[in-house]
Amino acid sequence: MNKRPFPKGKRERRALTIAAIILLQALTAMFFVGDVFFDLRAGNDLDVIHSTLELIAALALTAGVALLMFELRDLFHRMAEMDVGLQAARGGMADLINTFFDDWQLTPSEREIALFILKGVDNETIAGMRGTAQSTVRAQSARIYAKAKVDSRAQLLSVFMEELLSSEDTGAV
Amino acid sequence: MREDKNSDCGLSRNRSFAVWDPLVRLIHWSLAFAIVLNGAILDDDGKWHEYVGYVALGIVGIRLVWGIIGTRYARFGSFPPNPFSAFRHFQAISGDDKTIHLSHNPLGALMVYNIWATVIFLGVTGYMMGTVRFYGFEWVEELHEVAFGWLIVSIVLHVGGVFFDGWRTGVPLVKAMIDGRKRVPADRQIK
Repeated sequence: MNKRPFPKGKRERRALTIAAIILLQALTAMFFVGDVFFDLRAGNDLDVIHSTLELIAALALTAGVALLMFELRDLFHRMAEMDVGLQAARGGMADLINTFFDDWQLTPSEREIALFILKGVDNETIAGMRGTAQSTVRAQSARIYAKAKVDSRAQLLSVFMEELLSSEDTGAV
Repeated sequence: MREDKNSDCGLSRNRSFAVWDPLVRLIHWSLAFAIVLNGAILDDDGKWHEYVGYVALGIVGIRLVWGIIGTRYARFGSFPPNPFSAFRHFQAISGDDKTIHLSHNPLGALMVYNIWATVIFLGVTGYMMGTVRFYGFEWVEELHEVAFGWLIVSIVLHVGGVFFDGWRTGVPLVKAMIDGRKRVPADRQIK
């Protein structure tokens, strides 16, 4: 459950890398500009070629920083949008699951086990997490299946999948 | 994660928002690092103090540009410097209005601008101390010292405010500045 989808982690790393480059590159650009400025102020050996090169370097760096800033902004906004969509979907899924669980009149412990089943946790692990015997979990899942009128884990899951994949005109939940 | 352990058998009702982009976070922590370096570790008269000071100045400069062209919550428009709304926020604290501000809250916003201004002031007076024109003028150095004292006061208030607001609203703010996400308890209004 805690695993984030892979592309998201990749995007976050990419955004962080871009941000780090922006910071370093902008500071470097300022260093060059500052250096030209101090050279001019000090007035010592005014090397035109040297100063010009420094200025060009500063301009190029600044242009790069500006581009990266726009890139980072777009990337971050895309990430945030995807996030909002995912959370909305998650919220909708949670509502759906709760509605069904209410309909089936599951007890609190049955709800917990049913959710574990939906998450794909096997009976042994569920028993371990709840500190009960495996036979208890089996008995409880049997009651859940009976209340939901299904025969197996896969069918329990398909109740929700069907709801998510069905077309609009099937009516209310 | 922690959100999963709430009621609803792990169906989370808390919302989390990607608020601070990585540049904001990097800038925040590198500025904090630069301030610690210059305030507590480096020799005040040394060359390193000077360079770290310029870097801090540069960091604030980058942040100001980012405040114009940056991501939504990083832009000045998301946290305008407005004493009136800061005052209203103060009243909201005294009442039990626990509206969450996704960017800085109005009081925090004032602190943010204050800290940036102070760092810029420190940078400028620091630079002046090294120039021929102002070399040896006592008042420049005194201004620099006073500004540093003010910065310390500000940082104490800033850190205090962060923990107070985190406690008050239930949004872990330090964590938000690390991974960029504000986790908002289910029953809170959002602004």
